[in-house]
This record gives sequence, structure tokens and C-alpha cells, in this order.
Amino acid sequence: MKFIVSSLMFLASVHCGTLFAGDVAAGEKRYGQNCFVCHGPGGKGMSSYPKLAGKEVAYLTERLQTYRAGTKIGPNSDLMIINAQPLSDDEIANLAAYLSSLK
Amino acid sequence: MRSKIITSLALAAGICATSFAFAGHHGHKSAVVPTITQTAVLTGLENPWDTDLLADGTMFFTEKCKGVSVRTTDGKVHKILGMKGSSGYASTNDDLHCTNQAGMLGLAVDPNFAKNQRIYVASASTKYHGSGCKTNFERCDGNIVMRLTLSKDLKSVKDRTDIVKDIQFKPFESNHPFGGNGAHNGNRPTFDSEGWLWVTTGDRHRGVCPQSPELLCGKVLRIDTDGNAHPGNNPPKGFDKRIYTYGHRNVQGIAFRADGAVFTAEHGPWHNDELTMLENGKNGGWDPRQNVGGRGDCPDEYCGYMPNQKEGVIPAIRAAYMPMSDTRFADLMTPAWQNNGYSQGTSSIAFLTGSQWGMYEGRAVVGIMGIAFGGTPPGMRLDVYDIAQDGKSIKSVIHLPVESKRYRGVTMGPDGALYANTDEGEIYKITAK
Repeated sequence: MKFIVSSLMFLASVHCGTLFAGDVAAGEKRYGQNCFVCHGPGGKGMSSYPKLAGKEVAYLTERLQTYRAGTKIGPNSDLMIINAQPLSDDEIANLAAYLSSLK
Repeated sequence: MRSKIITSLALAAGICATSFAFAGHHGHKSAVVPTITQTAVLTGLENPWDTDLLADGTMFFTEKCKGVSVRTTDGKVHKILGMKGSSGYASTNDDLHCTNQAGMLGLAVDPNFAKNQRIYVASASTKYHGSGCKTNFERCDGNIVMRLTLSKDLKSVKDRTDIVKDIQFKPFESNHPFGGNGAHNGNRPTFDSEGWLWVTTGDRHRGVCPQSPELLCGKVLRIDTDGNAHPGNNPPKGFDKRIYTYGHRNVQGIAFRADGAVFTAEHGPWHNDELTMLENGKNGGWDPRQNVGGRGDCPDEYCGYMPNQKEGVIPAIRAAYMPMSDTRFADLMTPAWQNNGYSQGTSSIAFLTGSQWGMYEGRAVVGIMGIAFGGTPPGMRLDVYDIAQDGKSIKSVIHLPVESKRYRGVTMGPDGALYANTDEGEIYKITAK
């Protein structure tokens, strides 16, 4: 029993570790699908769309999760809600990892 | 200098009408597809919004949340006038500010710059708010056009005179997509070949604006360099005499064909970007009021994104409910082009002048900025339109072979090149041969 529990804890820690660390390369690829159209190359921000480069992972993750849940934060929320709703947990982690790695 | 180029072309056309190629409408038409080259002139800028040039290549440009600068012929950049909070400028004015879509936007060089050293800049300003900005349902005069007289060395402003003080501004966030304050300002001042200044505005997310006779929001103005109405403006009875056309949504582009015809590029809501040949005193057909045109109540009394504004809707359904060019109006100007039902974010327009442009000479180049919302294909390009002589249709459209960018402004330079500024922060020189 102890073995099973510790194995589960190990697996959970690996999974959560992967989730929080995110994959920068995968995040860059996902960002290139459509996010860049508003937020610009390298997340530098454009027009009225805010800069994302260099933001904290926790901030980016929380924002994307909030939008995905359909909650408004700010005037362009309707756009972000539509774009965030299809995102998986891994995609959010990857995007946060990529964007936070930028200056 | 936009107007000088147009004057020269008009003169050339008059002298050699049979040999001059106004591609697409009369005269000989080149069949040569030009070779296009794109070179960055400036990079690392912050939301450059507009450019204009002197005959010697001196280039003025605005940055939306910073100010207006000049790049002199030696390649050096001098920051002339900044807005509140900006640094490095010869001077700053605290009434000038930016928020969301608003800020220091369009600029135009005076056709007589050699004599008067004047440029004209459109910006958001708090100077004339008065008490009219307490809610989104008041007039709120918060966009202005400034006439700036520059010092001899072009590095500073000697005199600022605000020639238009009463263009409306959206003071607060509303319950709409892109609903932040400062929405829909237009603001692309441009001179015609006779030296009249044309000023474009936007509906600032207020339903009553475009069809209002008094408010300048949702209009195109034709004025002199002191801000007075052109005596030939012919708006409907009771309208402000500065108004040339009304019923617009957000006119970010205006340009003059070699024969003098004026065209606007207008950004649609989630449908129907448009290019329109303007007719004196007529109606662009945008009327986002609630409880008119078969519509009921709308969020914050503005129907511009309805129906079902929170979700993707087939563009044709939106267009039927909230048309860009409403055929209810007897004085409607029919657009030359609408974007196959889509909105991909038309911004600025310029006419390509000079035989180096080959078969594109005389055609209109337009920035398409598109964010790919709700299944709409992204923009991020420059398109070239062969507009019919009567301005009621186009003959063709092609993508100019340039980098995929968010092209906010396009301006013909005195050297026959096209100058294009991007939201990514560059100003490009695009040449043809």
C-alpha cells in the first residue's frame, strides 16, 4: 500500500512539475498559431493589446485560466475568453513558460 | 509631402494626358509587374501611427503613447513634442494622453512647410473636456487637431494652436467588445492638392454619433489650416459646416486619387471593411443607434457589435442586422469595395504614384491589420486595389509581396517609395522598379 501511495505521489509530482514548468518551445509554437496577431511578435504588445513578454508565470497562468472560465477582466475580455476557452492545462503552462521567458 | 506629390502628378497629367499612365482608369496602362523591395528605415518604435515626409526626405512620425518626432536627412531622430509621462522630448504637454486605441495618432505636413514650418497632429487631449465627460452618454470633446509651428532646426515646437477642439472621445469602458475607453477616434489628417485639410473621426462607441448633425464623431471634415469649414462643404441642413461626409464608423484611412477623387478606408465591426469614394455632403450609412433600423435596445445604447456581440456570428447575419452601409439612407455612398463580408481591420490608404510601380501605378494600397476573430482569416498585409473610375467597384485586388505585419499607416513619399509604419514598431520604405 505504501508503495502504491508513494508511486502515486511521485507521478503526481512529476505531472505537476511538468504542468508548472511548461514547455517553452511548445508555448512558442502555440503562441505562433494566433496569439501573435494581437499581442505581436515576441509578446511585445501592439496597439491596445498588452505586452505579455516577461510577465510572471503565475500571473499569465491565472489570467488564461480566468479567461478560460469565462470571467471578464478588462475591456478586451470577450476576445480573450473566446481564444482561451479551447486551451488545455498544458497549453496554458506552455504559453506561460514561453512568454515569461521573454524580455 | 502628400499634397505636393498630388499637385505634381495633376500637372503632369495635364501636360501629357495621352502618355501619362493613371493605371486602372485612363491613359496607357503598364503591364509590368514591379519588383518590390522592403527596407526598414526605423525599428524599435512604440506603436508608430502615422508618417509624412518633406520633399528632401525628412520624415515626421507619431508614436501613439509617446509623441511626435522627426527623422532628419542625416538619419538622426529628434523627439519634438511628447505627451504626458513621455521622456526625451524637447517639450511635453500634459493634456495629451493615450489610452487603448486613443493617443497621438495621425499627422500631416503643411503644403507650405518651406515657408511656415507647420505640421498638424491629431491627438487625444483633456484640455477641452469641460464638464462633458462624466459619463459615456455626454459629448466629451477629447480629440483635437493641433497646428504645430516648428523651430528652424525642426527639433522643437515654437507654437501650438489647436484648430479643431471638439472631436468626441470615449471617456469610460462600456459593455462591448474592444469596449475600453478611447475607442474609435479616426484621426488621420491629410491635405488635398488644393491645400485643404481633411480630418477623419470615429464613432467613439456612441450610437448617436455618426448621424448627429452637431457632433463631429463619425465624420470626415474638410477645413482650412485655421480650422474653418471649406465654403464648398455641402452637408445636410443643420449640420456643422465643417462636415464633408457623415455616417462613418472609424475612418483610419483617407487618400486622394490623381484625378482628385477622395477615398476612405474604413474599419468594419466584425464584418464589411469598406473602401468608399466620398461624395460631398453624403452619408456613409453607419447608424449604430438602438431602436432604429429594426433593432431594439443595445448595450450602452450602441448596437455596433450586435447581434449576439459576445460570440462569433456569421458575418452576413451581423451585416443584415447592423449594416456598415445602411440602404435605409437615400443619400448613401455605396462603397467601392467591401471585404467579402469580413472585417480584417482596414487602416490606412494611399495611391501608388509614379511609373516605377508598373501595373500598380495609380492603384490604392491599403493596410489590412486583421486579428482573425471568430474564424475570420488574419490580415497582416498590404493589399493593392484597382478601383473603377466611377468609384463604385474594384477591378482587382492583390497582396503586395511584403512581410506579414500589422500595417497601421501608409504614405507615399516624395521619392516615389511607399512608407509604411507597423504596430510592431517599424517604419518601412517599400520601393518598386
